Amino acid sequence: MMSSSSSTREGKLAGLTGATGRRVSQWLAGPVPTSVLIALVIGAGFMLVAGANPITGYHSMLVGSLGSGQGLSTTIQRSIPLVGMALCVAVAFRAGVLNLGAEGQMVLGGLAGAVVALNLPGPGLLVCAVACLAGIAAGALWGALSAALQAWPGVPLLITSLLLNYPARYFVSWMIRFPLKDPASSSVATESYRPEVQIPLLAPKGSAIGDWLAQNLGSDNPLTVIGKGVGWSLVVVIVLVALVSFINRRTVFGLESGINGLNEGFSRYSGVRVNWMTTRTMLLSGGIAGLVGVMLTIGAPTSRLIDGSLIDTNYAWTGLLVALLALYRPAGVVVAGVFFGAIVAGSGQMGRDLSMSPQIAAVVQGIVIVLIAFQVHPPRRRRRAGPPAEADNSAAAVPTNQAEGA
Amino acid sequence: MLAVEMRHITKRFPGVLADDDVSFDVRQGEIHALMGENGAGKSVLMSILSGLYRPDSGEILVDGRPVKFASPLDAIGAGIGMVFQSFKLFPSLTVAENVVFREEPTRHGLYDKRAAAAIVTQIAERYGLAVDPAAVTGSLPVGVLQRVEIIKALYRKAKVLILDEPTAVLTPQETDRLFEVLRSLQADGHTIILITHKMREVMAISERVTVLRDGRVVARLNTAETTGEEITRLMTGRDIDLEQSPPKSAPGAPVLEVSGLTCRQAGQKPAVDNVSLTVRAGEIVGIAGVAGNGQSELAEAIAGLRAADAGTVRIAGTDVTAGSVKVRRAAGLSYIPEDRHAVGTAPDADVASNLAMGHHRRPPLLQHGLLKRARLADFAQRLVDRFGIKVAGTGVLARTLSGGNLQKIVVARELDYASPLLIAEQPTRGVDIGAIAAIHKEIADYRDGGGGVLLISAELSEILSLSGRILVMFEGRIVADLEAAATNEAELGLLMAGGELAGAGKEAQS
Repeated sequence: MMSSSSSTREGKLAGLTGATGRRVSQWLAGPVPTSVLIALVIGAGFMLVAGANPITGYHSMLVGSLGSGQGLSTTIQRSIPLVGMALCVAVAFRAGVLNLGAEGQMVLGGLAGAVVALNLPGPGLLVCAVACLAGIAAGALWGALSAALQAWPGVPLLITSLLLNYPARYFVSWMIRFPLKDPASSSVATESYRPEVQIPLLAPKGSAIGDWLAQNLGSDNPLTVIGKGVGWSLVVVIVLVALVSFINRRTVFGLESGINGLNEGFSRYSGVRVNWMTTRTMLLSGGIAGLVGVMLTIGAPTSRLIDGSLIDTNYAWTGLLVALLALYRPAGVVVAGVFFGAIVAGSGQMGRDLSMSPQIAAVVQGIVIVLIAFQVHPPRRRRRAGPPAEADNSAAAVPTNQAEGA
Repeated sequence: MLAVEMRHITKRFPGVLADDDVSFDVRQGEIHALMGENGAGKSVLMSILSGLYRPDSGEILVDGRPVKFASPLDAIGAGIGMVFQSFKLFPSLTVAENVVFREEPTRHGLYDKRAAAAIVTQIAERYGLAVDPAAVTGSLPVGVLQRVEIIKALYRKAKVLILDEPTAVLTPQETDRLFEVLRSLQADGHTIILITHKMREVMAISERVTVLRDGRVVARLNTAETTGEEITRLMTGRDIDLEQSPPKSAPGAPVLEVSGLTCRQAGQKPAVDNVSLTVRAGEIVGIAGVAGNGQSELAEAIAGLRAADAGTVRIAGTDVTAGSVKVRRAAGLSYIPEDRHAVGTAPDADVASNLAMGHHRRPPLLQHGLLKRARLADFAQRLVDRFGIKVAGTGVLARTLSGGNLQKIVVARELDYASPLLIAEQPTRGVDIGAIAAIHKEIADYRDGGGGVLLISAELSEILSLSGRILVMFEGRIVADLEAAATNEAELGLLMAGGELAGAGKEAQS
């Protein structure tokens, strides 16, 4: 897999000067389509074992993800948090800040949003905005805690950010189980928010646009269905992608963080204060995670925070994979995020259509993800190698000899 | 009888002819010093002998039989073991585990821990290499790690031991102990090749010396029949004219004032020990010294990359002792670092970003608080044109550039600040002669434009041709302050090796 991946990269380079057709065919022979194909074949085997017809299964997967209005709507709904969480990881990893705490930052953001939405009186839109800000702040501060612990006393951020997921996760669970628990409900969940504080749907049933769409395009038209199912979180995520892309390309912070991710020694030498860079990166990354948490918590049609609802979806970890696949580029994050959103949506539909147990659908989904991950490029970190003749002594010789295990 | 014979070895890397028709032989049971400046081709030659590189042409004979090494495993199989400058040990494993790695003694098919420890103890005692087989490698000082590496080679039945700059990391006492070990190995019939440029050590321990310069053998000498001065001259005497015109004006106001600067390191003597120096506008002050005598640490401490334990630093009149790198750069520092891959550039970023870093905080790159790709590209193109950097475009990755061109990227970026002070650390290491001449000219022009330069180099010819004043650094201290016109390579070579001037030379050699 490794060698095929690198040869494809060369193939892509060569393709820049060649014909588009050759480029397309080279891409098709590359690792991504190959992994998808292998995943589908293995998935088919699992479906046979589970007593389902793979062709019907894949058909309903396609319909449930991209081939119908409802499918598209579900795919977009799933893609929004995936793209958001991938963006959170991408801004951090691009800067060389290995934030594995996206999940904790997300759930705390969600909790903060829920607390505001439940308790703050006032106009719905204002409460909604305050809830978003509270979520951003909670995620950002939780993220910055890891940065602070790395600056002093020097615990690697990779470790603290990962471990801080646990207190965050269980604190949120405890909050939902006890202080915020709705005594009237049998499920472990908070009370419902006022409908007007939710992040609204784009064109819900009963709204002017929604009705206009239904009348003029028909109630089954994809646009109508998407309008009914997808909320303003979509717009928020699109803005977020544009914003991150702008930061990367146009700001001092963006240039410095990109360089920092490629070679921290060089960025330090150029006058970048690495600890401060790490802190700012974690504020940004954690803030994005917190905002995603809020969107998952108060975004319609979600009307209350249910225990485990943010974690069970695995958005944070799938988002990490999306970010790696996208090489931390915002545009790539969108493409990869929507692709994974479609897999999640489609496998759900497949499970329902074939009355397959959700576990089998999850297995197929997992296989696709694992196989796609095989071609994940490792994080681009500085490698210590140059033309060998220059490292007069052994510097250049190190990697070779280590590989030999001498 | 010859233990090793290398005939007509040529090895070329992109842009560099590392070894050019080099013939090299070592007699059975001798200690042979291989000498040369950085980039002379000695490490590449030994990497070929130890199986790391394959020569483009030429042949190798071991004990009179031709051999071809595809990997270091082949070389060790033929009895040739190399101890590298940076050790290749697993820090989490014990000494014994590191020694027997991949050739573990077994008992009933399982790793035999006791046998491994016994083997290590046996080899260690035989040659006076004091180590604890059960110690975890990561906790050991470098002097002991070196012994572990030697034991590792001996365990693999190495008859020929190559040691690459073995004393660079050792204290004088450890050096003496190492030499005792080498003599006992020699007494036991081993052959030893020592890569070094420390004159005193060569004189003390070797029987013969081969001197390389610019990838060619310039001399084969019997140590007893030569002098440190002669070897120094052979190592450094370049034919190509790297002479620079003298400064056009007298030095002006101080741009760098360092006073009492000290950088301690845990468990060892200070890397920088109470260093005071001044660099004035319009002059180049050279710091000569054998690698590892605190020059890099001094440069890093002045640049703000290393914390100082005592002393003050003023750049262009501003006290920056407590300032970050950013503060020091703003005060008027530019810095060509020793390691262009790890510090001076981000090889995986494009040329434009590499040239922009540092300049990106002010106009013309930063306008209304924002950067723009096109402005970065224009800026980079201007530097590429001005300094004659050969690149396909400013969007290509820096790693695709040759060593000389990558170095020019660093030089171009740093000189373009036109700041009062430039620290140039090994500015021409590993670059070809043409690029050396170009970089030297840029540095001289910078001086004539009123800049002050602190030039740190292991190349004596470079120091002598550029500097007005020369400071010699040895074991963290400045041991001499000389007018460049009043000194020479031989004298500097002795001072760099810790010797003393005026008749004390012979003493330092013995």
